[in-house]
Amino acid sequence: MSDYKTLSVADVSVGDKLPELDIDITSGLIVGGALATRDFEPVHHDKSVAQAAGLPDIFMNILTSQGLMSRFVTDWSGPEAIVKSLDVKLGAPNLPGMVMTVAGEVTACDAEAGVVDIAVTGENNIWGMHMQGSVQIVLPVEG
Amino acid sequence: MVANIKDKAVIVGVHNTEFSKDSGVSELSLAAQAVKGAIDDAGLKPSDIDGFATFTMDSNDEIEVARAVGCGDMTFWGRSHYGGGAATGSLHQAVMAVATGMAECVAVYRALNGRSGHRFSDGVSGNIMTADAIHWGWYMPYGLLTPASWVAMFNQRWMHLTGVTKDAMFEVAHSTREYAVNNPNAFFYGRSFDRAEYDAARMIADPLQLFDCCQESDGASCVIVTTPERARDLKQPGVSVRGVAQAAAADQEQMTSFYREEFAAIPEMEIAAKNCYEMSGLSVDDIDAAIIYDAFSPIVLWQLEAWGFCGFGESGDFVLDGALRPGGRLPTNTHGGQLSEGYIHGVNGIVEATRLVRGQSLNQPDKEINHALVTSGVGIPTGGALLGKLD
Amino acid sequence: MTPEEQKAFEDKLYAYVGVKVCSRKPAKDAVNETMIRHWTEVMGDNNPAYTDMEWAASSRRGRTIAPPAMMYVWNQEGYSVASSGRASDPQTDMVEFFNEHGFTGVLGTNVKQEYSREASPGDTVYVEMVIDSISERKATARGTGYFFETLATFSDQNNETLGTQRFRVLKFIPQEQPAAAADTNELQVPTRIPSPRGHDNGWWWNAVDEGKVLIQRCKSCQTLRHPPRPMCGECQSMEWDSIESTLDGEVMSYTSLRHPKIPGYPSDPICAVIKLAEGTNIVSNVVGCEFADVHIGMKLKGKVEQVDEKTMLPQFYPA
Repeated sequence: MSDYKTLSVADVSVGDKLPELDIDITSGLIVGGALATRDFEPVHHDKSVAQAAGLPDIFMNILTSQGLMSRFVTDWSGPEAIVKSLDVKLGAPNLPGMVMTVAGEVTACDAEAGVVDIAVTGENNIWGMHMQGSVQIVLPVEG
Repeated sequence: MVANIKDKAVIVGVHNTEFSKDSGVSELSLAAQAVKGAIDDAGLKPSDIDGFATFTMDSNDEIEVARAVGCGDMTFWGRSHYGGGAATGSLHQAVMAVATGMAECVAVYRALNGRSGHRFSDGVSGNIMTADAIHWGWYMPYGLLTPASWVAMFNQRWMHLTGVTKDAMFEVAHSTREYAVNNPNAFFYGRSFDRAEYDAARMIADPLQLFDCCQESDGASCVIVTTPERARDLKQPGVSVRGVAQAAAADQEQMTSFYREEFAAIPEMEIAAKNCYEMSGLSVDDIDAAIIYDAFSPIVLWQLEAWGFCGFGESGDFVLDGALRPGGRLPTNTHGGQLSEGYIHGVNGIVEATRLVRGQSLNQPDKEINHALVTSGVGIPTGGALLGKLD
Repeated sequence: MTPEEQKAFEDKLYAYVGVKVCSRKPAKDAVNETMIRHWTEVMGDNNPAYTDMEWAASSRRGRTIAPPAMMYVWNQEGYSVASSGRASDPQTDMVEFFNEHGFTGVLGTNVKQEYSREASPGDTVYVEMVIDSISERKATARGTGYFFETLATFSDQNNETLGTQRFRVLKFIPQEQPAAAADTNELQVPTRIPSPRGHDNGWWWNAVDEGKVLIQRCKSCQTLRHPPRPMCGECQSMEWDSIESTLDGEVMSYTSLRHPKIPGYPSDPICAVIKLAEGTNIVSNVVGCEFADVHIGMKLKGKVEQVDEKTMLPQFYPA
């Protein structure tokens, strides 16, 4: 069995930065993400429909952005963390050819309850902020 | 004073290509044909040409012409500005080079598709297809786009061949920063860093991290050169140029000489070093301090080897012995270098080398500085100079 | 819209507040490993809590769970959205009402999910949804409009609440875009920077567009040269032809451009100087492996590929 580490709340302090994650936005990720979230809106898989809606290409659906944000946090926290909320403010769309850099920082940490708030941003290198929000998790309290 | 070039340079070969309204070939091709024709007219070989002179408006880099024609190492190139004003201006460059011995055979060229390509009547706009633009085209589509990435490509192989590690790169970056800490004009005045911070800094292009890279700076530097006679009447102690050389080696490209049999090397800097030493009558043991061009930390290491301070692959041990530090064998980049003072394309380095010889550096070493070395950038046609006290 | 028309519009609009979009109904499929795996693969999420049964059995939970961010996924309508359009419900009716009055623009602005309980394979997710609120009329950067918020509540087969989702949407009257602004570069998706194509190199790139990597050869002395040049440096002949490379190669050196991120390029592209079997060096990308796996001396095999909408390039894979 693989050894997966989970942070303890004692390991975490306000101001801690999460390791940055660069995600290549490809047509594969956008279409794959839309289908994995059962989102068959044509703007997420049909370029001509996306262009008719005023964008140059298909764009990422919200459920994929949520998924990437959740993954970003649990990559850092480890698998015993329990995700309590995901609050996302949506910005510029993610289109193929862009790179989204996801960054995060601990903004609150309750050592007794194990509750940790993380501010997360996902910024793409063309149009800027794609998503901005906060994720709340509960970490194990003892080591 | 009267210029002293009379009868010191002679025109020995000439050639024109076909003149047309549409050459059907590149400007580089025209330049290569003209140069080759003149070489033939003179009865010389391409490898005899060691210098070039042309117009600043010419789109053909000297090194591109040299590679195309199959010339070897070069020790002179000079351009003259102001459009047609450069006609005898480029001849003037060539004559000065030959008269002073900076080069032996200089090709003066000008090549243009002035009708089928960029027309003067187009005015000053429009796309200009140059050999230089085509050169970058071999790298841009792959993302090999920045100076850091080109230097990283050399350095990865050089580290592989020599076994030199990041310990040596850290020592270069760190010893330089320690000088900047004392220099109020430096970006990093009063701000040191330690090994943990160095290691944690962001990766720029493997293996170069943030502190291995220089600043992007706004600023300007200048030095004034005059005759020894006038220098003796002026208020500062004179600093004499004992030797100065420029060099491009065979198969030179601009930052991307990746096509040589062994490209983890800077043969052009070795030529510049050899010529500077010969010109000045000095040897490596005479050099007391150095300003070594440091756009990136590892290029200091390669240059220490090229100038003979140590053998190939030995620069790591050389710097780890503390050679670059204030009390070391070769206090280096005492202004804080371009890594930590500012990146003014090396001219701030000439300023600091002058100050070292004058005895005016903010980090003036305890020992007497009789001779200082200052070098140009690496990966491109380059050069160096040896400065000493005016007798 | 006159004040009277606006009042009449808003009277009808605000009647949607509190209207149920759907009553509590089950997803067509129970939470299942197949859909979870599909999701984790695309997201690049290796969390063993979702897919590693063995690990999960000995974890605090004792079982695998569905990614909480999938909560909304289970009740999605499915392919009919693409094939026959979204089925009508009070929310689509309200959207249509907006559209009829010129509020044709739509922009999701916020989505907040809160999770009270983790679902596992075998659980069935139920959803009910209500139009929870509609804002007053607002002037926004996009145009004048209204924010509405839907509240979806999720529960399992035992009627235990799993969580909620609040989704905030702006419906607005799109501002007239000046023609010039609508056609700015901003709307172009960037591609890699192409090489200019001139006399001396255009033929080489044209061959790449046709899937071939050529090496220039002197017709007089047969010397190969790359990058192409108009004259042979060995014998000064200007006559040349070319051979096609097999694209068997070896890494001479390599790096990866980590910073800055360049629009149109993948992040951290691996670039290498590659010695081809024919003897000339070429710069290209190494793909199909991690940076840590690349080393000097590594054998590569190249092929010409389309890397973005406009660009064909040789790309090299581990041999």
